Amino acid sequence: MTGSDNSQQSAVELARQELAQFPAPVLQRYEDALEKLTGRLAEETCQQWAYEGLEIARKTVRSWEAAAEYFDASVAVQRQLPSGQFLKWAKTGTSLCADSPSLSVAYFKSSPKAMLRLRPRYIDDWANVCRALYRGTWKSSALSCRLFEATPELLETLSFEEFCHFGEFLEILSRRSYDQAGDALSAGIDLFPKITGDVDRFIGLAQIVAEKSWRETAVLFDSATASLIELGTTHRAPLIGLARRLVITGVSDAAGILKDGANTVNRVPSETRDRLLEMTDSIAAVSAPAAPEFLRIVPDVLERVTFDQMGKWQSEGIQIARDSDEAAVAYFRLESPRSQEMLDSLSSSIELNRVHDVIQMYCLALTGRSIDVQAAQQLADKNIGWFQGELPTTEGTTIYMPSVINRYTTKEENFGFFKVISTHQVGHIEFGSFIFDFNLPSGMFDDLRPRLPGAKELRAAKAAEEAAQAAKKKSPVVIFGNETPIEPGPAESEATLESVEIKKPEFLTDMSRFFDLFAERRLALDVFTVLESSRIDGHVAALYPGIMKMYNVVRAAALEVRPDVTDLPAREALVEFMIRVSLGQVDDMLVPSEHKEAARKVRRLIRMVTSVETTVEDAAEAAIRAYSILVDIKNDELDDDDFEQLEPEEENDESGESDDEDVIDAEDVIRQFMGQSSPDGESDDENDDVPRDNDPGEEGEQDYSSPQDVDYRGEFKPELSQLLSQMQLMESGELSEGGEMEPITQEQLEEMMKNAPEMELDQTEGDENADKQVSEMLENLMKELQKRDPENQQFQPGPMQHVDEDGGPLSATEPDTFTYPEWDFRANEYKPNWCMIHEKIMSDGEPHFFRETLAENSSLVAQIKKQFELVIPEMYRKQKRLEDGEEFDLDAVLEALIDLRVGVTPDEKLFWRRNKNERSVAVAFLLDLSASTAEAIDEAKKPSDDWGAPDDPVEYMVWLRSRRSEGLRRTYKRIVDVEKEGITLLVNSLEELGDTYGIFGFSGYGRENVEFYTIKDLDEKFTEKVPRRIDRIAPLHATRMGPAIRHTIAKLEEVEARSRFLFLISDGRPQDRGYSREGVEKEYAVHDTRQSLIEARQAGITPFCLTVDKAGHDYMKTMMDDFSYEVLPDISLLPKRLPQLYRNLTT
Amino acid sequence: MATKQEYSQRNVEEYFVTDEPFYVPTSDEIEIFESAYRQRVPILLKGPTGTGKTRFVEHMAWRLSEGLSPRSPGEASLNGKGERLPLVTVACHEDLTASDLVGRYLLDAEGTRWIDGPLTRAVKAGGICYLDEIVEARKDTTVIIHPLTDHRRTLTIDKLGTVINAADGFLLVVSYNPGYQNALKDLKHSTRQRFIALEFDFPDEEREAIIIAHESGCDPDIAAQLARLGVKIRNLREHGLEEGASTRMLIYAGRLIKEGVSHRRACQVSVTWGITDDPQVQRSIDEVVTSIFA
Repeated sequence: MTGSDNSQQSAVELARQELAQFPAPVLQRYEDALEKLTGRLAEETCQQWAYEGLEIARKTVRSWEAAAEYFDASVAVQRQLPSGQFLKWAKTGTSLCADSPSLSVAYFKSSPKAMLRLRPRYIDDWANVCRALYRGTWKSSALSCRLFEATPELLETLSFEEFCHFGEFLEILSRRSYDQAGDALSAGIDLFPKITGDVDRFIGLAQIVAEKSWRETAVLFDSATASLIELGTTHRAPLIGLARRLVITGVSDAAGILKDGANTVNRVPSETRDRLLEMTDSIAAVSAPAAPEFLRIVPDVLERVTFDQMGKWQSEGIQIARDSDEAAVAYFRLESPRSQEMLDSLSSSIELNRVHDVIQMYCLALTGRSIDVQAAQQLADKNIGWFQGELPTTEGTTIYMPSVINRYTTKEENFGFFKVISTHQVGHIEFGSFIFDFNLPSGMFDDLRPRLPGAKELRAAKAAEEAAQAAKKKSPVVIFGNETPIEPGPAESEATLESVEIKKPEFLTDMSRFFDLFAERRLALDVFTVLESSRIDGHVAALYPGIMKMYNVVRAAALEVRPDVTDLPAREALVEFMIRVSLGQVDDMLVPSEHKEAARKVRRLIRMVTSVETTVEDAAEAAIRAYSILVDIKNDELDDDDFEQLEPEEENDESGESDDEDVIDAEDVIRQFMGQSSPDGESDDENDDVPRDNDPGEEGEQDYSSPQDVDYRGEFKPELSQLLSQMQLMESGELSEGGEMEPITQEQLEEMMKNAPEMELDQTEGDENADKQVSEMLENLMKELQKRDPENQQFQPGPMQHVDEDGGPLSATEPDTFTYPEWDFRANEYKPNWCMIHEKIMSDGEPHFFRETLAENSSLVAQIKKQFELVIPEMYRKQKRLEDGEEFDLDAVLEALIDLRVGVTPDEKLFWRRNKNERSVAVAFLLDLSASTAEAIDEAKKPSDDWGAPDDPVEYMVWLRSRRSEGLRRTYKRIVDVEKEGITLLVNSLEELGDTYGIFGFSGYGRENVEFYTIKDLDEKFTEKVPRRIDRIAPLHATRMGPAIRHTIAKLEEVEARSRFLFLISDGRPQDRGYSREGVEKEYAVHDTRQSLIEARQAGITPFCLTVDKAGHDYMKTMMDDFSYEVLPDISLLPKRLPQLYRNLTT
Repeated sequence: MATKQEYSQRNVEEYFVTDEPFYVPTSDEIEIFESAYRQRVPILLKGPTGTGKTRFVEHMAWRLSEGLSPRSPGEASLNGKGERLPLVTVACHEDLTASDLVGRYLLDAEGTRWIDGPLTRAVKAGGICYLDEIVEARKDTTVIIHPLTDHRRTLTIDKLGTVINAADGFLLVVSYNPGYQNALKDLKHSTRQRFIALEFDFPDEEREAIIIAHESGCDPDIAAQLARLGVKIRNLREHGLEEGASTRMLIYAGRLIKEGVSHRRACQVSVTWGITDDPQVQRSIDEVVTSIFA
């Protein structure tokens, strides 16, 4: 600190003196820095340094802070800068301080680190770039400071030039929004290190976006962070370039382009990526707005065609793009018919949606049952035990398929695959996999099922035994207990009872009972699955030779992807061997050398169940035998040389088969099952000789795990499927035995789920996630079962008011109320004024429903229109045998002349005439709005012609998109919705025909509250109100048909028309409180309704009833005897059938 | 056929079934018909098209004719004359009037001449009168047949002012197709309750295979496959098809196959395209065909 030069001394000293006036840290830091700098700086420089510090401190009130930072940073900065530059650095800081001390603070603060990356000659520029953000406001200063502070980090990845660009960008953006600029700065810091090399390009893009549509910069950075990083360096630059070009031309969504582009590029094979971007470029050259659409749609397109095929589709699109941007956009959105057609013709893939109806009808034809066809994902989403969304499967009433097949190069083959999987899945239904009956004897094997002990049975027996022993201990007391004061408690007596009679365990399904026989349930399921699938394949081969060509192709493909047998431990290798045999592999059969005999036996079993006469019970018996073979085989790891080729089967060992009918000795099997440990692993003391399978103690032995699924066979879940299909089978009367099944309880279900091997539940107790999963699934399954239970579909009463059943007649005092009598069939007389109608006009809803229904069903609308047009010529038909008319009817004249000659009175009707048969029809539609119409019908149960999926490609794509965007939301329809649809379509056509018609709805609760809604009165014109009212049609309460019909009759009687019709559309039998006497005499309602229909006929009105009640035939016979009616087998047919019926009825 | 068949013409009441028409009974319908004939109880045959109603009547006419000549010495011949039983068939249509059945006056050179209608002829000849698809006929025809179906066994001819007592062998047999649950064209109760009813449905798969094999002369395996196709297509009834595939259609397919037409093509032209115009349903049936036929 000793200096010789005065002047120098003075500046340093001066600073020391002056700085003392500022808060203490300033001087403190000055002294610290001075100490370190002295000696490293030339004296003159040191003086100047001190002087600059003083200058800074003096600048403004708060600038002492900057000075403090200045001193602080000086030491570090000085190390990196030559003295000239060092002073320049200081001066720059001083001038910044003149603008704002905060800037200066930030500048000095970040300098030490920044200098590591910054060339000294750029110091000024750097300060200027940052200072450019400062516009005298607090926000601008904050932003500027942040850029200073961020500089060191930014410069780690950015060149100074890039940094300047970034600064420029921020400056542009900050003119619009400091917040956006601040966010962009933070985002940039994160982003740039990850896209080194393309930073400048990106900043260039960002700059354009900031100029054109600054609001989108944030999204741009977001999407760049999300997508550009993923994208390899090679394709980043072209994509950014593309985005830039597009943004310049006015397509503002740069973020979207980056996102879709990156997404798309990442999804195509790397060798095609360049071409993809070139293709996009060439589209952009013709039509900028179309290019982003192309980028977005490519993944969808590639799901259906190969890349080269897409090239053709793209060049076609470019041709179109030359015409107009709109056309190009539509094309590349796959919304134009031409685009769709082009793709269709190129594509070989098949979407389930497209072939859904054909397959559904195909399945119906094969099985004779209404089989639903749905995408496999839908079943997985239900979360009731199936997990795979891609594999085909069935649960006994619906078959589930992949939503798109693109395995082969031709459409024919891909459709063939659909056909193969549907034939196999539906085979489970056709050939009765799920009607397995535990007690039904097998035709091929000796029945072992009844002779084997089930785990539950064993447990029950054991419990009973214990109870008996317990009882025995106490029994002396009871026996000699005449004098003993101790009374046997209820527990004892029960136990005694139990000891006498072992309680029969109960199972939800026969399948559960079957699997209960096995200790190793998973193995049993796998073995049964292979055998049952082979059986199905065998049936298919025998009955459907036509499909075998494709079937074999599919089986061969399935074989190709099977795992190598030699990689598997012994037992799994044998299961795999079974699968291979079942898939038709004959040669090159490697099996573990030790177990060749076992392999031969299981192969025999497979061959046996593959013959055509087999039943599911045969497969079950075969499974018992195969299981007993496999369960003895330890699941040891094997070396490759432990495997040996198994000789191919001898062709004609037929004689051998008949000789020893059973592949293995039945007694052996039974002995082995008797000895098997219970699945709970409770007691295995008595069977040490039987190898335990999951004993990890033994070396080399692996836990058994199930084989990989065979793709076309999919997930086979016999227990669940049987459970689920039982409901339906019972309904259709195919399952007579369990006719009166108890309602399934949650506990039963839970037990089944825990025991069923197919549920794939994690058995770890206490695992919360697993438990949650189980309970969720359980809940879903319960719901599913309830949905299927026909009992549950019964009418559920709505809110009921007090109803006076035994009261007297009512009187209609209020306006719009009417009373009607009711027919009491027991008394054979009317109860006068028994019911009260409240007539209301349906409130207005939205008009969308009407419009949308017409749009959605456009093809049906056209069809109905055509039908109705045919009605009109019928009205102009030549009418013969009239008393007067246009001309003589030659036939009639001839007859008359003959009659005259013979001397018989001739007929006077000798004329014919046209156009006199004017149509004069009045019809009232009466809709049942009872609560039961709220019942959901399955969306997938569409009418055979799938009106939902439009034929028009544009509409189809829109439809498809909306379905995709909805994700997996289930749309469900109610009966009432279908009624509405039907009415909508009919109304639309009726307007053309010019008939008088009215639409009414009815519901109600109790005899004094029969609600009668007018949707369109008979004499009302069709106004825009009618569609609105149709929209409001909704389920209400009960169904008291009689009074509603009587009221409609009254309405029809007021109308003048030659023919009058009453068209009743209902979903079930009439019911209401007091309308059936506590449900005992359902006939009451039926008879009253019938009586009201008779009244209609007496009034010259033709009644017709259309019902969708499956059970309709029984009571309809009584109710409608002599009247016309129709029972629709499927509610979804209603919209199509209704106009047909109308036409038939009224012409 | 080896010999060329010349056409032959005879009066309706002189039409006899001389060769045994092939018929595979599905249950006891032959016995019932025979019993009913002995008691002269009119018979109503119900069933969808192509289930063998007409063939059954032909078969019965033949069978009864065989039985007409007394089988055992004591038994009296059915119509008392030991002749064959005529079969008069009338296909009813919507313009069929009572005079079409009963008869009418015609003009000729000298004046008018009465011509008996087919029903009158059958009544006089004592044969079976088979009114096919009776529901199609006009309502006035049904009134004509009422007195023929009860104890009176008479036919009233208004224009002649005569009443004919039916000859001993006469029996009225009518058929109708209950159709598609549609009650619009239904028989009146007053009519239908005058008949005993025999219900016809498609034969089961094995029987149908036998019938197809016999009628078409095709290979039994092919016949079995055709029969299977029939069963599968009938599963579509009420789900796109209004009627199931008739055995007749399947027989046609069998005949074409016998002629060397490929299986799939034969099924297409004789079954698929015939049964429906709906392309969707056609496609589905095609898929079933290609599954069954290699």
